[in-house]
Amino acid sequence: MELLARTVVEGFVTGLHQSPYLGFSVDFAEYRQYQPGDEIRRIDWNVYGRSDKLFVKLFEGETNTRVTIILDMSGSMGYGSGEVKKADYAKMLASCLTYFSYHQRDAVGLMIFDEAVRHNVPASRRTGQLHTLLHHIEHAAPTKGTEFKKPLHFLAETLSRRGIVIFISDFYDEPANILAGLKILKAKGNDIMTFHIMDDFELTFPFEDMAQFEDLETTDKLHVIPEYLRNQYLNVIGNHIDALRKGMSAVQIDYTLMNTAKPLDAGLFSYLAARAHTL
Amino acid sequence: MNFLNPFFLIGAGVLAVPILIHLVRRERSEIIPFSSLMFLLKIPKRMIRQQMLKNLLLMALRLLLIALLVSVFARPYLVQSATPDGPKSGQGRGVVMLLDNSYSMRYGQNFDKMKSEALSRINALGSGDRMAIVSFNDSAQVVVQPTPDKGKLRAAVDGLEPSFAGTRYFEAFSVADRLLSQFGGQEQNLILISDFQRTGWNRSSRESVIGHDVKAEMVSVGVADSSNIGIDNVSVDATSFVRTYSGRVVARIHNYRRDKEVSVPVALLINDKEEARKNVLVPASGTALAEFSGFDLPLGFVKGKIRIAADDPLPQDNEFLFSIERREKLNVMILDAGRSRQSFLLRTAYTAAPDLPFNVRVGNASAVTVEELGSQEIVIFNDVPRLSDAVRDRAVQARKAGQGQFVILGNTADLRWWETVDGFPAKPLRRVDVSKERGKSIAYLTSYDRNHGIFKRFQGSSRLGLNTAQFFQYIELEPKPGAFALAKFDNGHPALVESPANDRGMLVFASALDNTWNDLPLKPSFVPFMFESARYLAGYNAAKGWYTLGEGIPIIGALEGGTARVVDPSGNQDSVGEGELKSGEQRYYSPSAPGFYELRVGRDRRLLAVNPPSNEGNLEMMIPEDLLAGVQSTEAEARQTGTFVTDDKLEYARQQMGWWYLLLIALIAGIVELYIANTRTQSVRRVG
Repeated sequence: MELLARTVVEGFVTGLHQSPYLGFSVDFAEYRQYQPGDEIRRIDWNVYGRSDKLFVKLFEGETNTRVTIILDMSGSMGYGSGEVKKADYAKMLASCLTYFSYHQRDAVGLMIFDEAVRHNVPASRRTGQLHTLLHHIEHAAPTKGTEFKKPLHFLAETLSRRGIVIFISDFYDEPANILAGLKILKAKGNDIMTFHIMDDFELTFPFEDMAQFEDLETTDKLHVIPEYLRNQYLNVIGNHIDALRKGMSAVQIDYTLMNTAKPLDAGLFSYLAARAHTL
Repeated sequence: MNFLNPFFLIGAGVLAVPILIHLVRRERSEIIPFSSLMFLLKIPKRMIRQQMLKNLLLMALRLLLIALLVSVFARPYLVQSATPDGPKSGQGRGVVMLLDNSYSMRYGQNFDKMKSEALSRINALGSGDRMAIVSFNDSAQVVVQPTPDKGKLRAAVDGLEPSFAGTRYFEAFSVADRLLSQFGGQEQNLILISDFQRTGWNRSSRESVIGHDVKAEMVSVGVADSSNIGIDNVSVDATSFVRTYSGRVVARIHNYRRDKEVSVPVALLINDKEEARKNVLVPASGTALAEFSGFDLPLGFVKGKIRIAADDPLPQDNEFLFSIERREKLNVMILDAGRSRQSFLLRTAYTAAPDLPFNVRVGNASAVTVEELGSQEIVIFNDVPRLSDAVRDRAVQARKAGQGQFVILGNTADLRWWETVDGFPAKPLRRVDVSKERGKSIAYLTSYDRNHGIFKRFQGSSRLGLNTAQFFQYIELEPKPGAFALAKFDNGHPALVESPANDRGMLVFASALDNTWNDLPLKPSFVPFMFESARYLAGYNAAKGWYTLGEGIPIIGALEGGTARVVDPSGNQDSVGEGELKSGEQRYYSPSAPGFYELRVGRDRRLLAVNPPSNEGNLEMMIPEDLLAGVQSTEAEARQTGTFVTDDKLEYARQQMGWWYLLLIALIAGIVELYIANTRTQSVRRVG
């Protein structure tokens, strides 16, 4: 998982023209050969004196932000129309964000929940924190039902300092319940980012033949003739997404709908934008 | 309700297919794991129910459509029992008595026996019984409508006379069935008194017209072994142009006895004077021919008779009548353009021998008068440019009244003008110069209708072959609709065209006959060709030698027209149709008795001979029960096809009209189904 996160994040960061976060720290990072356009004040004249070559001194950024990633591992996250299930996608996103945040010197924490809190690792910058978090993410698997109120209340009680809360879920609950929990966190001064993970089939409902649909959380079954219900289903889910988007927008919570059929870039961009805003 | 084609109902099994598919698919529906049913459960049930109802309605409509189509093919009809409550006791019987008064009943005492049997049946009627009497021969007449009055019934039987007409049982049964239906719930009885002559039953009439519950009594008055001898047929050439009859009168004598041959004296009478007599030996159940020729004929029509001296119980068929017309020579007028020797070869053809029946005149078409033209039997227009309007109109009128016209097209004929003449049977297209047009110098007349009257005598004679003549030029003709190309050149172009059957009397030859465009006039076939053409043109309207009773005799208006009258053998005059018979107009006359009839149209007089149907002389009987079986439906048939209170065809058809209504309902169901299915498809497409 670490390898995966590193590959994604570094590849993503390298692709950016200029990192806005580099150089705000006092910790030396590395030397790089001078290139026209670099600030002259950054040239290390000592090295020049020793080697007659111009090198620029680079520093790593440092922050005291606390990032807490909340990962929904309820049964519904186990759905996937293709090879990648929603849970896998969410785990990848969580890993990437964890890796990225950790290497930005943020204190990173993790909470995995379904009906209750399954794992809670408070945010920290200590050595080994990254491996702990990635280990928990890697071994997380979708289980039964979903309950938003409990974990969010728990988090609100346990978070001692404000920071960034990243919420990754398919939000299979009433928007009011979800927003109620998030509002408590927001009221404590946290910046909240939500990633709404949805499978492509959940968004388009392309089924054709009559079938029994089995609920992954409750194992209830329902005879469905998709031809009859498609229109109504799409209306209902559209209303749900709109309610979430509007409700969160009203309390300055970032909302990003992510389709598992599409790459992770959108999620990472959203994060970076929010990070910049925080700083 | 019952069905005409019940096997089509098997198709109703198709109805089970969509239902089975629905059930099987429901049972085997796939289980799809889905993240959550939360949103599916939020969908209002009302919308799902609406959709399901819509689909159930659609399915019901489709099933209804199949069921209706199956029913339409099965042809349903309404059945009413012939006697729903059975014969009502105390109402008496309803009786229809069929009495045969055909020509064959004149045999011996058959007719008197029939009357006697009929009277005994009338006497046997009980109180409350009603009887109808139908006499029949080749048609059936209701003599007495259903009545309980025995006196009226007896009087009707006493007044019956045997006819000269043939026998048709089916007509009688059809009328009987209509009368029986009037008896309603009464017990229905049918009595047939006849000689059960086999020739009166047409075996192709297989329709059952008598209900299975009608009690039928077949009373035979015929004789099993008849000893009749009669004249079947006489072939005669009805027109003679010479005093001494050159044709042959051939009589066929039929001996219906099975046991022995008979020697019969056969006499030929002309105007009731015996001209010749012969003895012929007729084998048992066989025929023999008696041939007469060489007798003298006076001018005009003569009454001919063949008479056999046979002592048998049916004397009426021992005499056979015919008529022959001895005519003066045919007046043939050849009209040409006035060129020197233009008609020399044609004239020579008609005057080649002194005994040829033609009086030939040659004249210039521009100088001919209307009167001259009208008095000819045949007019030959030999390459005439055109005619004056008056002559043309008279020619058209004369042709319709019986004049034969032969048009020869050559170099001087105005083709466009001839095409406009009323009754001209072809459209002249162009002049064909064979050497230039076809790459070879000569065309031959290779094909002709060998069964046509003109060409019959060319059969089997190599000397008279028309195909030896060489044609260098001709007019390409296109026969008009209904016209016939009787002869053709080797490239398929018509050489001789005849006017249509409904407007006959004109022949058009496509090449000049003056030895310029072809060498036909120099060939041996030329004279017979022109001779036969003239005979054909003059004789197409000739009367037949004799007619059979029941046959319609065509009467065509003469040139001047006039009132058509017929003087029957008793001397009574009868007009044919109403008003004056116009020139060329055709009417039909149906004589009622055998004998000689004189037909008068204006100044025209014709003699017609009418004989009774010869097959009535054959008294071979059929088994009465076989006849009854042929017309009475069985109980099983009645069950299968439905027995109707009446055989009224309209009612029958009305009862079978049900399938039309079903088809209409199916059509409406189809339209509704299309509408609903279409709205559903559109909603699905919007979602997609």
